[in-house]
Amino acid sequence: MSQPDPTQLSLTIELDVNGRRHALQVEPRTTLLEVLRERLDLTGAKPACDRGECGACTVLLDEQPVNACHLLAVQAAGRPVVTVEGLSERPEFKPLLEAFVALDGGQCGYCTPGFAVATYAALRDDPEADEWALRWALVGHICRCNAYDAILAAVREAGVRLRRH
Amino acid sequence: MESTPHSIGESVLRTGLADKVRGATRYTADLKRPGLLHGRILRSPHAHAHIVSIDTRAAERAPGVHAVLTHRDAPATRIDVDLAVLDSELRFVGDEVAAVAAESLAAAEDALELIQVRYELLPAVFDAEQALADGAPRVHPGGNLVGGERLLVQRGDAEAGLAAAARVFEGTFRTQVHAPVGMETRAALAEWERDRLTVWKTSRAVHTPDRATLARVLGVPPADVRVICTAMGGGFGNKDESRLAAITALLARKAGRPVRIEYSRAEEFIAGRNRQSTVNHLRIGVAADGAPTAIDLRSVMNAGAFVASGRNVVRRIGQGPLYLYACPNARYEGIPVYTNRPAGGSFRGLGAPLGHFALEVLVDQIAAALGIDPLDYRLRFGVPQSGQPGRRTTPPGELLPDEPVEGGVPFSSNGLRACLEAGAERIGWRERRLPNGTATGPRRRGLGVAMGIYKGGVGREAEAELRITPQGRLALSVGVVDVGQGSETILAQIAAEVLQVPAQRIEMTLADTAHTPPGHITAGSSTTFSSGHAVQVAAEAAKNRLLERAAALLGVSDAVLEGGRFVPRGQPGRSVSMDDVLHALPEPVLGRAALTPGSTDCLINAFSAHFAEVEVEPESGRIRIVRYVAAQDSGRIVNPRLATSQVSGAVLQFLGIALREELYLDERTGVTLNPSFLEHKSTAIVDFPAIEVVFPAGPEPLGPFGAKALGEPPVVPVFAAVANAVANATGAWLHEVPFTPRRLLEALRPQGGAQR
Repeated sequence: MSQPDPTQLSLTIELDVNGRRHALQVEPRTTLLEVLRERLDLTGAKPACDRGECGACTVLLDEQPVNACHLLAVQAAGRPVVTVEGLSERPEFKPLLEAFVALDGGQCGYCTPGFAVATYAALRDDPEADEWALRWALVGHICRCNAYDAILAAVREAGVRLRRH
Repeated sequence: MESTPHSIGESVLRTGLADKVRGATRYTADLKRPGLLHGRILRSPHAHAHIVSIDTRAAERAPGVHAVLTHRDAPATRIDVDLAVLDSELRFVGDEVAAVAAESLAAAEDALELIQVRYELLPAVFDAEQALADGAPRVHPGGNLVGGERLLVQRGDAEAGLAAAARVFEGTFRTQVHAPVGMETRAALAEWERDRLTVWKTSRAVHTPDRATLARVLGVPPADVRVICTAMGGGFGNKDESRLAAITALLARKAGRPVRIEYSRAEEFIAGRNRQSTVNHLRIGVAADGAPTAIDLRSVMNAGAFVASGRNVVRRIGQGPLYLYACPNARYEGIPVYTNRPAGGSFRGLGAPLGHFALEVLVDQIAAALGIDPLDYRLRFGVPQSGQPGRRTTPPGELLPDEPVEGGVPFSSNGLRACLEAGAERIGWRERRLPNGTATGPRRRGLGVAMGIYKGGVGREAEAELRITPQGRLALSVGVVDVGQGSETILAQIAAEVLQVPAQRIEMTLADTAHTPPGHITAGSSTTFSSGHAVQVAAEAAKNRLLERAAALLGVSDAVLEGGRFVPRGQPGRSVSMDDVLHALPEPVLGRAALTPGSTDCLINAFSAHFAEVEVEPESGRIRIVRYVAAQDSGRIVNPRLATSQVSGAVLQFLGIALREELYLDERTGVTLNPSFLEHKSTAIVDFPAIEVVFPAGPEPLGPFGAKALGEPPVVPVFAAVANAVANATGAWLHEVPFTPRRLLEALRPQGGAQR
């Protein structure tokens, strides 16, 4: 066989996740999502489409929302990664969380962390975002329960509460 | 005196939602066990083939691999009549060939490529009609007609009714494969402790079928199998089979370590169980005044390689045509057919949206031909509270079916008229609807209406246990799964209503065979009605014990619960609190119920009337939804916010299917062409307007606190409501779901509707 054994190609990287540094041995092909979920047991980012089509695995990289399934762990090395678990520790996440709960912004909940991370980033970047700006900010997120009406209400309420915050 | 605390009718917050938002909820794929291995499945590249030989030696030697499983390891006991855990014959592209457990997902995937399989190709068939023809390749030894016979259900004499009709209308209506694809893919984690097995899995029924099937297939006593579903990332009537869990358990046994397998998205699209495609030929005879004299439907359903719950799917196609309109003569012939397409299964509403599509579009054509407003036609001929004409066939004293055929039996409640009137009012039907095809210009608006009838949620064997402790805990245990629809919240509200405590005070345990009494499958929109009934009865039983204790505390012979406090009957003034009574309990109180709710006198069904407003571009064939009003009769609404979200989600889910979702198969190879969210476009947050949801009907007299089915009924009329609105805008009816631009342009062509 001419192909090299990928398991023999592991690299040592340092990941900065939720403010904590982790030295990890990873294969180059390992995604950030797999490392977060299987190595660090941070399972808030969900695997759902495997290729950046649904937003369920959204995390912040350099404070910007990205699909963790679409990024290799080695690409994230040395850059701050914040997962929904880390975001939940921030005081400005609380109004968002409360708005989602109050307005029922999720049904089965599988896509919900992704929506929450994306909403956080959208409202941080534009606290005055109107309905359509928010809809377009979330267009890459699929909710198969189609709880979109309640999600949108929750996101708009999150904006109201964050402006008050 | 304090007012009585109520839970029913209150928008109690969804249980566990904060954890979901924070990412703290653990779904099956999030779970880990010490020594966990990752499993992957090798799938058939051929639509129909026999495994001549399979060499797993290289895979077994690969780094990190702990076990390889093939059909040689599979038990002789089958999962279903037509389904083995692993088989030497493969029946669709994607059928399970082998499985590997390894230290990492990547190592397992690498090992799959090292398995050497020699296939003998067998002839394949993909079309249902072709599969029924003489000499067609046999998908299963027993032939391609599932179960060897057609399903035939009838009331009266359809042929006589058609012969007596002033006019007969007919049409052929087609529906394609619909993929439920919950955001969480199928997953299972299996762990053995000597001979005892624990399985965590995506599930709609941990007790039966899951535990029962796993115990039977693996040859383990049911008491030694524990099945748990920690959280479900979307059910939608899907994820009800046990094959993945059986493979995972066998791998774990062979490896001697726990194994977890989760499907990739492509696997979920292909090897998940999608709604079967159908061809439906419908004939309706009407008298001179438009009254139906006979309704006759023949449906051919392409079941794919395995039928699973497809028997229920095919039955449910017929229910709308059999029962939605008052008609003495009705007949339904359902023909499920095996082919070498991916196996079908059940998806929200099963066959009901398909049969309703044919029925409600043909009815619109009848109304148009007779010059009757389609709303008036439905108000006049929709099935009334008194039910269908004809004679009861269920023996007196026996529970009536929830998918009835017989006449002569009334409904316990029927909100069809209320839904039609409320929905029409809301959308402005009387003021705004123009005659069909009179709109002009490059963008044409139209209004459409369609109705639905569906099971009311009765007939499931349901159990519940409410344990109340001196420490003040109110622990409710039910064997059902909350698949994401919110039953954990709803069942707590029902118990809370009985005990007059806040719903948040009820501690819930669901979906764990070790800690719940047997529960039914989350199917047929039955959890609120069936398990809700059991919860109500169990809570009443516990409450009676508390009343005894309260009476003793109060020094009276009889106490009642009023305003959330215990008071002597007929002597208000003195009272003791719930906590006073609980702390005085000498031992825990257990309230139990095991029952099968239903009625011997009345039919219990849920109803809907939906109104769509569309804007159609005849030039491009594009359809835009402008407004959508969903009026639902689900009895009394236990939780308005959750109910509204569920109806809205149901409609949006089916609007996506109505307009564009379709899973394509290459009919030369049997390969699924678009198994991804990019190529199978799912509804996004920018696609549709907010759905307007109304609940205009009254309580269901036989339901727990007046409630009846909610989960599936709102999907039933969606296709027809849109098709009828498009016909109103353009004058052309669509006969095939989804309503893609190509199909609309074809429908417009013969009558020149595309002319400017």
